[in-house]
Formats: sequence, C-alpha cells, structure tokens
Amino acid sequence: MTTDSWILDMDAGPIFEQIGRNVRQQLARGDLRPGDKLPSARDLATTLSVNPNTIVHAYGELEAQGIIEKRRGLGTFVREDAPVKTMRQNMLKEIVETFVNEVRRLGVDDEEAMAVLKEAWDAG
Amino acid sequence: MKRFGTLFWLEYRHSWIWSVALLGSLAFWAWGIKQVRVMDVAERLGIRAGLLAVACAIGAVVLCLMIGRIRAETRNGQYQVLLLTPPSGYAHIGARYLYAAATAFAYFITIGFLYWWIMALAGIHLDPTTLVELILAVPFYAISVSVLPLLAWTLLLMVFISAYRISGPGWIPGTVMLLGTPFAFRWLVNGILRITYTLPGWRLFANAPAALIERFGSPDPETALQVDNIIYNGVPIEPLLIMLALTVVLLAVAGRIWQEVEA
Amino acid sequence: MLARLENVTKRYRTTEGVRDLSLDFPAGQIVGVLGLNGSGKSTMLKLIAGLLFPTAGAVTVFGGSPRGHRSRTVFLGETDTLWPWMTPADASRFMEGLYSDFEPVRFNELLDALEVPRRKTKAMSKGERGRLRLAMVLARSAQLYLLDEPLAGIDLISREKIMTSLVREWHTDETILLSTHEVAEAEGLFERAVYLRDGRLALDVPAETLRQEGKSVVQTFKEVLA
Repeated sequence: MTTDSWILDMDAGPIFEQIGRNVRQQLARGDLRPGDKLPSARDLATTLSVNPNTIVHAYGELEAQGIIEKRRGLGTFVREDAPVKTMRQNMLKEIVETFVNEVRRLGVDDEEAMAVLKEAWDAG
Repeated sequence: MKRFGTLFWLEYRHSWIWSVALLGSLAFWAWGIKQVRVMDVAERLGIRAGLLAVACAIGAVVLCLMIGRIRAETRNGQYQVLLLTPPSGYAHIGARYLYAAATAFAYFITIGFLYWWIMALAGIHLDPTTLVELILAVPFYAISVSVLPLLAWTLLLMVFISAYRISGPGWIPGTVMLLGTPFAFRWLVNGILRITYTLPGWRLFANAPAALIERFGSPDPETALQVDNIIYNGVPIEPLLIMLALTVVLLAVAGRIWQEVEA
Repeated sequence: MLARLENVTKRYRTTEGVRDLSLDFPAGQIVGVLGLNGSGKSTMLKLIAGLLFPTAGAVTVFGGSPRGHRSRTVFLGETDTLWPWMTPADASRFMEGLYSDFEPVRFNELLDALEVPRRKTKAMSKGERGRLRLAMVLARSAQLYLLDEPLAGIDLISREKIMTSLVREWHTDETILLSTHEVAEAEGLFERAVYLRDGRLALDVPAETLRQEGKSVVQTFKEVLA
C-alpha cells in the first residue's frame, strides 16, 4: 500500500467519499485483498494531511457497506467476505459507461468505436 | 516557585553579559586606582575615593540600561511570548528586578571592598566591625535609598512606554511619568526630611574615628565633636524604610501594568 | 464551548480589525480561518488569546476571560519570536519551567520529526525557527490552539512536516484554529472553514459540505473573497 494509491482532489467532492472510492478501487484492482490490514485512521490522516475525523467518517461508511471491519485491539481490516467481485463489476461498469459517454459526445458511431477499442485491446 | 525560578533563569541568560561586564569593569577601576601617584596620602586617598564614587555612578546608569531593555523585547515579539505564559506580571517584573538587584548588590559590595583596599593602601587599619559596616552595611543602605528605587522607577517607565503601543500612544504615560518625577521627587525628599530621626538612627562606623586618628593624628576639638555627634546620631532609618517601600510600590504598579496591556 | 465571540468589534487607531463578529468554537474541531490580508484573522485569534481586548462585545474562553485561561490555550503568532541565544534545550527549559502540561520527551521527539537543528535560534533559518516554535506548542497538552499563519514564509518541506505533525498530535477533544494563506495545502485538515472579509464573517461552513457541492475550500475562497 503506497501513498500514491491515495490521491485526493479537493474539487472532486467530499474527501470521505473519495477515500471510500479509493478503497473500493484498490480492492477491485487487487491492490488490496480481503483480510488485508488498513492503516489506522490516524496514520492515514497523517499520511494524507487530512482531518482524522474525515477518515473515521470514511471508514464508518465502508464498515456500513460491509467492506471493512474493526477488530478490537488489532486494527481495521478488509473483511474476508468483502464483495470484491461486485466491486469489480461496478468498477468495470463505471469505466465502460464513461467510455461510452465520452465516445457519444465525440459523435463517433458504434462500429468505429468498437474497431478502435479492439485495436487498443490487442495492442495492450 | 519553579515558575519564578524559570523567569529568573531567563533574565540571567538574557543579561549575564551585562553583569559580567559591570563586575569586570571594576578591575579597570582597580587598575586606575593603582595609577594614582599623588604624593600626599590624604589627597591620594581622596582622589581614589572619588574614582570609586564615579564607578558607583556609572554602575547605577549601566544597571538602569540593563533593566530597561523591555522596549527591544516588545519590538521583537518576545513580550508576546512572555505575556502568554501563566505567571503574573508581578512575577515577571519581580524576576527581572531581582536579577538587577542581585547584580547591583554584587557590584556595590565589591566597591565596598575597594574602599577597604584604598584605605589599607593609605595605611588606615579598620577593625572587623568597621570592615563589615563598610563592605555590607554601607552598600546596602546606599543602594537601598538610591539605586534600588531608581531601578524600579526605570522599570516602571519602560513598562509604560512599551505597554501602550497598541491601544494608545505609549509615550504619553511615559512622558507624564518623566515630567512628574522631579516634582514627586522633591515632595518625597521634603517629606522624608521632615520625619528624619523620629526613629533612632542606625549607628555605623563607631570605631572609624579611632582608626583615622591612629593614622592621621587627632583633629581639632570642634571637628572631633562634630564627628562624635554624627556617629552618635547614626544614619537615618526613615529614608531607608521609605525608599524600600517606594521600591515595592513601583514594582507592584509595574507588574500590574505589564500584564494588563495588549501585545 | 471552548471559545465564543459575541458581537465583537476591535477598533485600532485608524482601522477596525473585526466588526460585530460572532462565532462559536466547540471542542474537537480543526477550523480554517481564511481571508485576505487585513481581513481580521490575526485580530480574531489574538482576541481569543487575550492579547487584544475587544472595543465592543465579549470574548469568552473556557467560560471565562481569555487571559485567565492561558495555561489551556496555545497561541502561535507570526511576530512572536524567541530569544536569539536560545537553543532547543533552552526552549525546553523555558517551557517546562512555565507550563505544567509541557512534556520534554515529546518535545524531543517532535524536534526529531520536524528536523530542528540543535543550535541557537539566531543560527537557524526561518523555517527551522517556525518548526521549533511549533514543536514547543505541540509538546503541550492544551485544549485550544490558535495558530496564526504558522506556515507563512516557510519552505515547502517544512510546511509538509508541520502539517504532518499537526495531524499526528491533534487529540479529538482539542480545537485548532488555523489561519493561513496556504489554503490549498492545508485544506484537507479543516473540518470547518470560516471566511473573514473586512473584519466581518463572510461564510462559516463545514468543509465537506462545500465539497459535496463540488467546490473545494480554495475554490470557495476565490468566490467569497474575490
């Protein structure tokens, strides 16, 4: 877990939401796995220079969503039963929706878009 | 007590160079004394005593300068740091004053020693009682009626000047104090003179005439009688008590003002 | 309520520092005090610290007079400086002797974390001096911290160190009022943003609420104060 995995944009909505999204993204990508330990609220706040209460809020939300849990005396962990698959699917949907919207705004027709997509996919 | 000690330590760290310079300067005066090479013993003694008197005056001035450095502190923001500390203005002023007073005592007691020295050089042998009076009692009396109140007055003046910078021109109370001092001083002196010797005087130097006679021979009867009279009366206690009381009052006012100002 | 201003006006000889300012500061908040030069940020903090007296209105700290609660309050100003001959060891002696809540061990840890050199302050750079003064106040266990431009004129690395230390040392029942021009850097710290303009309150809002509307504290700064 590196600091660059936590990038915050002050113009992009509440910090606590960004933190939540970040955790979900990391889980979806496999950078974070069920059972992994998360930094304490205080440590994460210190790393990001962010109000600890904001991190507590973020962790609270993630806990309510069943993604993380606090184990007394040990710290905060990703739940073993965290819905990683669902998160990956949601993230995939988000990426695809963004792609589709951007392409539509560009005014390109579906065939051309799919062709370019296949080309990029094969190249990568 | 720990807090007062810390304030005293701060003042010591802040001003120790002044104290060392002052006391060290006495070496210069001692050298100067040795340089006096007038033939006549009495004249030589007189000149040397005069030199030491000048050293006393200069010492008083330097002490006032040392204690009056509050203005620089105000400019540099250290006043703000001190104002935010828990101790009261009385503690801050008290610690600063105590350091200056301690330096004053050290300085003037050393001058007492120097007076002993120049007398010894002139061949006057003083007995132990007179020595203690010369080295301890006289400096104590002399600075209690002059230097100690003067230092308190200087401190109060500087507190006035630095205190009212924000909420009003600081120089107004300071100027009022300066202008008013000659009148207040004259009133004070008159008052003291009126009550002098209502209390028994403090007898000093009872054995001094004998030592002088031993060295210089007997003076004429009239002078001897006058000297006896003076010694019998002793030095007046009232000025000592009043000036010490005045010192305390000035310090209390300074302490009160110091903590009530904006910074 | 740790600090409260009720219709406070502070008049200087030629200007007014703050006008009819009313604000409440409860425990446990980190508040950004934001505004242009001359907007009254310093004046407000000094009023709460008890360094200035209001011309009108009332300033209450811990339910009483600001001066009366010096031992529970920390004020770090722009112009308060230490003595040039002081070393960090001297500063520790000074603080320990005057404040019962000062912890020398924590002070030394903070000195290391902030990389303050063990020299006389006259041989330190402005950034080093700023970090030393911050270490001095963070090693205390006060409840109300009034930090007036603690990042001003300080190099970037020092600013980052200072903010990291602030976050790390803050306890959830303490209140920090931090005025700064480096709004972008410090934005994440603030739970609440108080904007002052010409001595008056322009806006008082939770930071996350602003961001909910898609605006950063910085963005709002430009809108409210331009």
